Amino acid sequence: MAPTLPQRRLVASYAVILVFAALFLAPLALALTTSLKSPEEITRVLSLPLSLHVQNYGVAFAEMGRSFLNSLLITAPAVVLSILIGSIAGYPLAMTRGRGGKIAYFILLSGMLVPFQIVQIPLFFMIHAIGLYDTIPGMWLVHTAYAVPFCTFFMRNFFSSVPRSMYEAARIDGCTVTGYFWRLLMPASASGLAALAIIQSRAIWNDLLFAMTLTSSDSARPATVAIAGFTSGTQVEYGPLMAATIVSTLPVMLAYLAFQKSFVRGLLGGSGK
Amino acid sequence: MAGVRSVFGLPRSTLAFGAFLALPVALFLIFFIYPIVSTVYISLHDWNGVAPTMRFVGWRNYVTLATQPRFLHALANNLSWLVFMLVCPTGLGLLLAALLDRGIRGERVFRIVFFLPFTIPAVAVAAIWRWVYEPSGGLLTTVMQLVGLGDHAQNWLGDPRIVTYSLMGAVLWWTTGFAFLVFFAGLRNIPEEFIEAARIEGATPWQVFWKVRFPLLWPSTIIVLGIFAIDSMRLFDVVWATTSGGPAYASEVLATQMYDVAFGRFRMGQASAISVYLLGIAAVIIMPYIYAMSRRVADSEAE
Repeated sequence: MAPTLPQRRLVASYAVILVFAALFLAPLALALTTSLKSPEEITRVLSLPLSLHVQNYGVAFAEMGRSFLNSLLITAPAVVLSILIGSIAGYPLAMTRGRGGKIAYFILLSGMLVPFQIVQIPLFFMIHAIGLYDTIPGMWLVHTAYAVPFCTFFMRNFFSSVPRSMYEAARIDGCTVTGYFWRLLMPASASGLAALAIIQSRAIWNDLLFAMTLTSSDSARPATVAIAGFTSGTQVEYGPLMAATIVSTLPVMLAYLAFQKSFVRGLLGGSGK
Repeated sequence: MAGVRSVFGLPRSTLAFGAFLALPVALFLIFFIYPIVSTVYISLHDWNGVAPTMRFVGWRNYVTLATQPRFLHALANNLSWLVFMLVCPTGLGLLLAALLDRGIRGERVFRIVFFLPFTIPAVAVAAIWRWVYEPSGGLLTTVMQLVGLGDHAQNWLGDPRIVTYSLMGAVLWWTTGFAFLVFFAGLRNIPEEFIEAARIEGATPWQVFWKVRFPLLWPSTIIVLGIFAIDSMRLFDVVWATTSGGPAYASEVLATQMYDVAFGRFRMGQASAISVYLLGIAAVIIMPYIYAMSRRVADSEAE
């Protein structure tokens, strides 16, 4: 549609986009350059680092302890489990046409509207009671449970877009309800699963609230809590802080860049069709 | 149908589907329904979280909160955040999507640039923007001095009157990418013929946008507004990691206040009452969204 637009309008759009692109990149550029500056250079915010002061990254890793590893150990299994539970719930809800299915769907959906702060106090005591306080499996359980509404919503919509004739054909060939799910539906839903995996990675990797309330020691505390602790001191050392920030930002950012296509495709399949 | 056998008078496939639902429904009951009921119960008591007995106080926690300036201020902040989220990141995301959908060169690169901030953790947003807002040598003040606006520089996060607006600036940067991507995908989904037809009938680009494209973007708009409305009620991590609600509670929202009252002051009853207020407000504000969603699901079923 571009050729029909007058040249001047296109130039104006381009100018606006460039200005916003610069504004969007500036804070990230600040973080990156600061993470590579020595303490003497840091106050000159607009200059580029004279030499690459990579020691900041060393300090960041030392201070963050094993929290980066914890973040990985929490996020990877929790993403798999939450997608699995969403698919398991979404499958019958996409297949049944009855009233009961619809009611179950809306009840699960209503969970999407619950601000998580509301459950925080009882959850804290529950997790204590079952002995999963300050453990990585405890975080898997919590992230999986609170992913039920969104993942169900997402996978149900995605499964609804898979032609029903596929299901009927498989049934006639003697495929069981369970067999259809594992052998046909899940493999056919790769792009939806990938999109949901990215959304969930972001949500779980970036979580602060559950991590703050349900972990306390270095053995389970993820990077987000460690960084929040980093900034609470009165004298903030911006070099190492920005290094830690960059490291905590990279995994999800790279995942989005690598899977951008399937993310957009999955989002459309799951929302707008 | 082949392979249908009855158990308890139900077809086998129905039982299989029921079995699939068992685990998610159990998790939902344990992690959503039980804690909500329990929060309401605790909110009617005076309890420090440790004592073996809770003292029943009825509605007192709710009444105390309703007259407490600290609570009312946080409530007002949540409502400002709601308006802000529905207007600013949504509007900017729509603007950027509309501009970029004109076949601009380097579209892929810009798409990544606009979306990038959304992928980073709230604590990283907080760390970066504390450095941007640093009153003496931070990026914002330095740039303002460079262009001769140095006199207008503020103590961005230290001044109670502007701290919430400063946080909104950071959140605008953080969340616009999401609205942008949903709108952009929505615009790409609109069949070209609709736009051509409008053009042939002599519609200006402005009219094409507001009369043809924008109405067809309705599904995307519902998603963005709904998610942002929920986010503005849930708002916690950016505020907590940037200012912890300060200075002097000025930037507090209900979620950060609830956290401070519960886990900082161990007044579980009052904190639970804050939660219940939050749930009530969220339900009232977000109900129209559930309604719109259920309509859409009904529509897609009818196809």
